[in-house]
Amino acid sequence: MNRRQFLKATGAASAVVGSLGLGFYGYEAGKDPESYTGWETHEGAHQTFNRKRYASDHPHYIKVGPTNRPDARTEVIFYRRGDFMRNWKDDAGIGGLPEHLRVYYQQHPDVLEQDLYHLKEVFPKMREDYRKYRNKFILASAWSNAMGAVSPTPINQPPEESDFPRRSRFGEQTEPLKMKNPLKTSKLIKKIAHELGSTLVGIAKLNPDWVYLYPMRGRGFEPDKPLNIPEHWKFAIVVGTPMSWDPMYANPNFGTSNDAYSRSRIIAFRLASYIKQLGYPARPHTPGTSYDLMVPPVAIDAGLGEQGRHGVMITPELGCNIRPAVVTTNLPLVPDKPIDIGVQSFCNTCKICAENCPSGAIPFGDRVEVRGYLRYKIDTAKCHTFWNQNLGNMGCRICIAVCPYTRKANWLHKAALNISANDPTGISHSVLTGLQKRFYPGPNPQKYYSPSFGGENASYRKPPWWLRAEDFIEF
Amino acid sequence: MHFFNSGLFWFLEGIFACLTMIGLKIWMEDCRIPMPFWKWLLFVIWVFFFGFTIAFVGTNLGEKEQNAALLGGTIFGLISIITAVGLWRILKIGKK
Repeated sequence: MNRRQFLKATGAASAVVGSLGLGFYGYEAGKDPESYTGWETHEGAHQTFNRKRYASDHPHYIKVGPTNRPDARTEVIFYRRGDFMRNWKDDAGIGGLPEHLRVYYQQHPDVLEQDLYHLKEVFPKMREDYRKYRNKFILASAWSNAMGAVSPTPINQPPEESDFPRRSRFGEQTEPLKMKNPLKTSKLIKKIAHELGSTLVGIAKLNPDWVYLYPMRGRGFEPDKPLNIPEHWKFAIVVGTPMSWDPMYANPNFGTSNDAYSRSRIIAFRLASYIKQLGYPARPHTPGTSYDLMVPPVAIDAGLGEQGRHGVMITPELGCNIRPAVVTTNLPLVPDKPIDIGVQSFCNTCKICAENCPSGAIPFGDRVEVRGYLRYKIDTAKCHTFWNQNLGNMGCRICIAVCPYTRKANWLHKAALNISANDPTGISHSVLTGLQKRFYPGPNPQKYYSPSFGGENASYRKPPWWLRAEDFIEF
Repeated sequence: MHFFNSGLFWFLEGIFACLTMIGLKIWMEDCRIPMPFWKWLLFVIWVFFFGFTIAFVGTNLGEKEQNAALLGGTIFGLISIITAVGLWRILKIGKK
């Protein structure tokens, strides 16, 4: 073929390919959920990861001993510290505390030390720092409070009263509709969850080990009495949304959990209502503290991700930037399988979260036994103490921001994820960890503290323009 | 959907790629350098790496990660330049 012939052939081929390209472009433009202006639910388009390929017959966590259910009164730090702060009297000491706290602190004297430090040292300094430095973060606070301003009425009745549909409520069937097929029902429920705005959705068979033995207050259970798991809590539907990305990267001082908490909460309540209108019981378990169970292991069972070193679930699509909620029900469903995307191996090597944690709450060592399961154990007392040693919106979230998995879903980070998920040798984990540390470093963790604690009110990244109070407000 | 995220954009990129290949072919013919398939393969690999470098810088600038853009641009850019010199020497093999 001479040059002229080649050029002619190339031209013809380009014309065909180009025309096809225009056709495909048109098709995608017509199909694109982003073009549904004002109602861009994405229709599940962001739950893109092919989980079937990485499905595992069992979750990554290993049962290594007899298991027991957690006690929300002591294991959930907000409740323990709330109880502690209300009941602690210097002259009475540990003897003046309710029995469950007394027993707990006798078994964990280091935690008592932390909780006392939190009460005596951190709180007074935190109030002073708020007074002095709060203005800079006032728009971040407004954003956080605004996102939390809309909330469904909390459930404060026990399951036998609140979970079941009632004829008196509009639309709710009192007899369950006969669903044709659990697989089709599962597909329907996932579609509805996506339509309601959930970014990720998965289904698990509820493991009783994840349900609190002694429940949280205000959920309608008798106080200080063990929770008998209702029979109708058969399946757990996990929904979840991410926190807004730019504020999230500006943690701890400019980020919030409230944006995703609020969205996930509303989705869970709507989904529960939908299920009740099919005639089945449903109960939402939602952030920040309206749970009867621990959500992350349920989400792991539902195949949404794996636990990372920092204790948070890591998902392929969102990294650990997800705030999940759960709806328990006995609607006939088919559970999803857990997945293995190489997180356990990656976290063995990485440790970026532990290196960047200002409170030292994240372990550098191996997984340990926690209530019969081998998993990473976070020092929640140290973690929560730091929440009140910075000026952010109730929380820290630095471990989420620095995690190599928590990157935006563009070609670069998706490629890194796929390489890491498909590398059985672990070589790419070391390489990717090294690149993450060189390319995306953060401040010295001490700088995240507020000045009373020797810090500089630093954030992992600069806040987006719409959170910079000094640009909009005269102080 | 932004233009640079669209099918039209990639279609145009494809046209540019074709024109580049055509131009390279004609240039190599004028330099009297034979271009068997393995030289084309090396060239394509280098183009992918160079393209990765440009896209890496752009992506990190878009993410406001200036440190990553600068460091990555420098490291991958240097590798691109060094390998380009090596590639040119290889391509010249068999020059008449």
